[in-house]
Amino acid sequence: MRFGEVFRYEFAYRLRSISTWIYAGVLLLIGFYIIHVAVSGTNPIQVNSPQDLAEKTVLLCGLFGILVTAGLFADAVIRDRTAGMDALLFTTRIRPAEYLGGRFLAALAINSILVFAIPIGLAVGTKMPYLPREAFGPNRLAAYLQPMLLFALPNLVLIGAILFTIAALTRKVIPVYLAAIAIFLGYLVAAGAWSGITNPLLSALADPLGMNALKGMTQYWTASERNTRLIGFPPMLLWNRLLWVAIAAALFAVLQRTFRFTQRNERRRRDEQVDAPRAAVPQRPSGAVPQLRGIFGSRTRMRQTLAVTRQSLGEAVSGRAFPVAFLAAIGLVVLWGWNVGETIFETITWPVTHLVAAIVMTEPAFVIPWLVIALYAGELVWKDRETGAAQIADAAPVRTSVVLLGRFLALVGLIVLFQLAFLIGGILLQVLHGYYDFEPGLYLRILFGWNLAEHVLLAAFAMTVHVLVNHKYVGHAVVLLVTISSSSASSGFHHLLIYNAGPKLVYSEMNGFGPFVTPFVWFKLYWAAWALLLGVVTMLFWVRGPELGIRQRLATARARLTGRTARLAGLAIVLILGFGGFIFYNTNVLNTYLPAEKAGLPQAEYERRYARYADLPQPAIGGAEVLYEIDPDAPAVDARGSYRLVNQTGVPIRSVHVDSPSGRDYEVRSMTFDRASKTEVDDAEHGYRIFALDRALAPGESMKFSFDLAFRPRGFRHGGAQTLVVRNGSYFDRRLLPFIGYQPGFELSHEGERKSYGLPPRRPLPGPGDAAAGRYWSPFRSGDRIHVETIVGTAADQTPVVPGMLRRSWTENPSTGSGQASRRYVHYASRVPENFAASVFSAKYAVAKGRWKDVALEIFHHPPHRANLDRMMSGMQSALGYYTSAFGPYPYREMRIIEVPPYSIHGRAFPSAVGFAELNFINRHEPGLVDLTFFGTAHEVAHQWWGGQVRPAYAKGRGFVSESLANYSAMLVTEKVLGPVEAQRVYDYQMNRYLQQRGETGKDVPLLHVDDHPHVSYGKGAVALYTLREHIGTEAVNGALRRFLEKYRGSGPPYPTSLDLYAELRAATPPSHYPLLTDLFETMTLWDVKTQSAAARRLPDGSYEVTLEVLAQKLRADGTGVETPTPMNDSIEVGVFTSGKSAPISLTRQRIRTGKQTLRIIVPQQPSLAGVDPNRKLIERERGDNAVEVETGG
Amino acid sequence: MTLSISGLSKTYPNGTRALKGISLDVPPGMFGLLGRNGAGKSTLMRILATLQEPDEGTIRLGDLDVIRQKEQVRETLGYLPQSFGFHPRVRAERLLEHFAVLKGLGDAAPRREVVEALLRRTNLWDVRHQRVGTFSGGMRQRLGVAIALLGNPKLIIVDEPTAGLDPEERVRFLNLLSEIGEASAVILSTHIVEDVEELCSNLAIIDRGEILLAGSPAHVIANIRGRIWRRSVAREELPALEQEHAVISTKLLAGQTIAHVYAEEPPGGGFEPVEPDLKDVYFAVMGGHSGARAAA
Repeated sequence: MRFGEVFRYEFAYRLRSISTWIYAGVLLLIGFYIIHVAVSGTNPIQVNSPQDLAEKTVLLCGLFGILVTAGLFADAVIRDRTAGMDALLFTTRIRPAEYLGGRFLAALAINSILVFAIPIGLAVGTKMPYLPREAFGPNRLAAYLQPMLLFALPNLVLIGAILFTIAALTRKVIPVYLAAIAIFLGYLVAAGAWSGITNPLLSALADPLGMNALKGMTQYWTASERNTRLIGFPPMLLWNRLLWVAIAAALFAVLQRTFRFTQRNERRRRDEQVDAPRAAVPQRPSGAVPQLRGIFGSRTRMRQTLAVTRQSLGEAVSGRAFPVAFLAAIGLVVLWGWNVGETIFETITWPVTHLVAAIVMTEPAFVIPWLVIALYAGELVWKDRETGAAQIADAAPVRTSVVLLGRFLALVGLIVLFQLAFLIGGILLQVLHGYYDFEPGLYLRILFGWNLAEHVLLAAFAMTVHVLVNHKYVGHAVVLLVTISSSSASSGFHHLLIYNAGPKLVYSEMNGFGPFVTPFVWFKLYWAAWALLLGVVTMLFWVRGPELGIRQRLATARARLTGRTARLAGLAIVLILGFGGFIFYNTNVLNTYLPAEKAGLPQAEYERRYARYADLPQPAIGGAEVLYEIDPDAPAVDARGSYRLVNQTGVPIRSVHVDSPSGRDYEVRSMTFDRASKTEVDDAEHGYRIFALDRALAPGESMKFSFDLAFRPRGFRHGGAQTLVVRNGSYFDRRLLPFIGYQPGFELSHEGERKSYGLPPRRPLPGPGDAAAGRYWSPFRSGDRIHVETIVGTAADQTPVVPGMLRRSWTENPSTGSGQASRRYVHYASRVPENFAASVFSAKYAVAKGRWKDVALEIFHHPPHRANLDRMMSGMQSALGYYTSAFGPYPYREMRIIEVPPYSIHGRAFPSAVGFAELNFINRHEPGLVDLTFFGTAHEVAHQWWGGQVRPAYAKGRGFVSESLANYSAMLVTEKVLGPVEAQRVYDYQMNRYLQQRGETGKDVPLLHVDDHPHVSYGKGAVALYTLREHIGTEAVNGALRRFLEKYRGSGPPYPTSLDLYAELRAATPPSHYPLLTDLFETMTLWDVKTQSAAARRLPDGSYEVTLEVLAQKLRADGTGVETPTPMNDSIEVGVFTSGKSAPISLTRQRIRTGKQTLRIIVPQQPSLAGVDPNRKLIERERGDNAVEVETGG
Repeated sequence: MTLSISGLSKTYPNGTRALKGISLDVPPGMFGLLGRNGAGKSTLMRILATLQEPDEGTIRLGDLDVIRQKEQVRETLGYLPQSFGFHPRVRAERLLEHFAVLKGLGDAAPRREVVEALLRRTNLWDVRHQRVGTFSGGMRQRLGVAIALLGNPKLIIVDEPTAGLDPEERVRFLNLLSEIGEASAVILSTHIVEDVEELCSNLAIIDRGEILLAGSPAHVIANIRGRIWRRSVAREELPALEQEHAVISTKLLAGQTIAHVYAEEPPGGGFEPVEPDLKDVYFAVMGGHSGARAAA
């Protein structure tokens, strides 16, 4: 009865609250918005596929819903206290269970209704007529409802119970919000740990929100499965849900027992307080009060400001929430950053300061400062009014601007304190990892420079919102939602239009924040001017005195807009215009600004105008000489040089088409031929020029083409900085130099984008069997291997490097008094004709030297980056040793690794050189993890054979010839040097990469036809070649590769395709294994084997007979993942293990057919585990059921 | 410094007319503003304390326009609101220090002196290190006065300060106020007649947004002298008596109901003359027998 009344009262109260409906509206908008974000041109997985809807629902309910939940559940118990009604309520006959139960269930009921706004928003979003229809499948009610029932609502019960308990026990808002965010962040952090739980039952049950279970369940789903399959109600998930709802119920039961109807101590203590001693005090206290009058002026205002700051800050810091939040921030940094720099192969880098600091710079961790800012901004605006202190303080002789500034500075102080917590957390993390190079200067710059600027501007915004909204909880929600959504929406607009937006900072250990600092600072100044204007607005609307209606607030604001305030607003506007104008001048006048949806326009226009020349006969580059003058400080680079152009076609060439980079940074000073020519087209905007030769270039004839170019960036750009030429760590290539002829490689490749510019679908890459397949080896038609001479000049303290043979290096000292700095020059030449890559590196390098036979090994590295040099060196040596003996000789006399900042490439092979980004130099090797440095080095060195000596045709399947072979080769070296366990680790990684990515991208192709599918070329390629080797032997596979290399080394056009490689592999494979070849290379085949039971019987001679019941099938998938069974009769490993040993006591190959079958194996010892494919080598989605425990009977 | 109010009106958005063209002169010394709950006292006080805007009317404090020159007025204002609170975790001395800075007492040494003197004066010296969240009602009220007194204000506004205080506290608090009143203009709003009777040299009675009567206590009492009569009456006779006479108040005395009536001529019927006090003035005015309402 009473319970029902509590429920009805609360439910009705909530329904009538405007904030309830604001929450609902916000959730609806988020759902609606997310659909728009998710729509992209060509994803084969539909935006409203059941699996995607489930993830969106779970994520949105988790991320945004939790804020709403926190507000609702906190309010349900705290409202009584803030309104002062608790004394009346608690003294009625109501029992705690009725009170808590009624309130909790009412809040839960309201919240359950509210979260349905998310699927409604999603569904409405999918119906918007302007969105491309092909992005959507049919909307199914079950696809929207199942995730609500399975995830959203049970999670609501659990999270609600936790938050409600915290609210009931603390009776404060801030701990509730902190707990909400801690739940969410903690969940994300812990999510990494669950994947480590190998027991599937435990793993599925341990996940309180079910997100991981959902991800795990669907990770290998293919596109067609994702589009059509409903999540359903899998029993394991139901058990999980039941378990966690039960835990919520238990928590609630505990709360119900501990909760007491008492008022909180302050008030109780006040009532108990015995007044000051009375008798002893004379009626008229002695001592006159000095007649001191206040003095008012700028000094006083400063003092007042500081007093307000001190008071507000002290108030916030002395609250109980602060130490908790402070420690939580430290802990979160450590938790979050624990796997800092975790890259591929689950290896980790050293926790270098910039990576650790980056954790607190990335958006997920920004949630902490966002929350701190939103909550404390609310507190600072509301605290005085809530405690009643405003009644007195409002009439004090303090200007509103002083009050505001004081509070704002208090908020800044809080942010500084939290940055300090981050600093402590970061250093703690480093110490725990045994890393002691703290780089305090870098911490200071990131935490108290960039991040502080970011947060302080946000703080100004938050205070303004709280003052304008004038409702605490709604204020919190508005601040957080606007912040989160604007940070995700900022990509589509000019940064000048989204508050606090600006280009992102990218840190490089070599180059610091480099070119990113200038635009960042200008944008922050611009937003600081806006913050000032916001401050004025806040001042106008600051509530001083009793609460007023909107109309009166407006009137008050108008009245307050007088002299001083108006002048301040004017100043802010002037600054906004000044800074904004300067930024606009840089981004839109000095540089070209294109909104995101127009970014591809120049490329589209290039194609539209000149694609008709694609097949025009053009001369090839037969040799090149280039002189680069790098000015790292400007930064700028000038390139002068010449090409020898040869007419290799059968027809005379009358006009030469020259491509060069377009844009305002790039200047063509001259382009001339050693014969008379006329410029017919001079389109600098699209970088296209056509020169008509007075005398045609006859077939076989050569001529010289000279050019003088300058790359001199001006000002700063809107979207990120140019990073080709930087103060330290310049790396640029061929793309800075002219190309001859129209280059299809410059065309837009994204089909959706092409469509939006009205371009026809791209000409598909030729298949490996097409007649034209072998015509080119690159999307750029820049000719064949040529001889190149390169001279590079740069600042004297830098070392310029060019892949190839160093002929000479010297320093030029200018004549004294000329005022010019001395410069360092190098002259490199190609040892043998090579691909014209024209890659140039220049930085302050240290050089580590080594040797393999007569090959000089050099590592050009950032001087402090010494940790991995030995492993890189040994990687080069081992790889060169293995590849030369297995495949054939290495053609160069040098092998170099050159470090570059992390701007463009991660790892790339050049003739006789490898470019490695910084990350490769801070990788950490730990026992039990893949030695990524070694493997990566071996992979890139392998490209000296695969991709270097043999250049695959620019056709489908080219990744099979380059990346698959490089990965396979690197696996063999890894196996040889580091052992089979390490190789198995790499194998598992490649397998997972393939299976997971084929599901997530929704794309799968046979290896021989692989295009832009790294999971197939790298992942499946390595798995397939390695599997083939298991069946036919190392020598057979390597012999085939050797013959392939010998046949095609340096050949082309026509260049070899994947079919040419396949032919060699097939020739080395006995016919009995041809079906395996088909399975691995020609089709997308998946196996599905399962050991249903294993039983052992002791034989009279002391050995054991193991009987396995095995179920097997083989499936062929099409491009979208629709699978059809195909007959299976394959030789597959069957293994038996005994307890305590990892090596099997029996490992044999047996024929396994489609369907159920019984296998019998005799083993000498008592078996404990047995199964089919126990080492998980088959390409199989469910690999956990391959082996089972053996039951030993009589 | 004289405070003069003229033609002050305030209507709230919900239609409540809190002040209806009030005009009033407040001379230096203690001024009592007497009226029942909801009479418009607090609205008037808030407007005087610069926290609210009237719709019409002017207020002058000496040379200052209270409505326009808020900042200057605040520099010379001490305000003790009807309901207020403190951040509970602050200590009393710290809080007073804080407000001292806000009130422009910049230099540390004299400020500390003032703070100490005020703490002693308000009898809070011994508890100056306690958190204000633990204070009793009277202590809080005295701390509020100490804050109001900071910076030697010329105008002190005290809104219903004695509500909720126990008798002893109330006496002590009124003593404190009487000392202040010697130096500044103090406006004390209350619904307790005794507060005004004991302290104020001038008073005004306000009801439903109108000033019904203003003047010194002696003067207003003199005005009704000889017109207040009383007799004891049985409870059941009271309705009949109210029909017949202008009963302004009844009170119980030793189980007997004593009725006071207003009459210009002796009413007879057992009534005896009474030497009127301020309470009689208040009830007579509120009953419409005297003051502005009677004149109208």
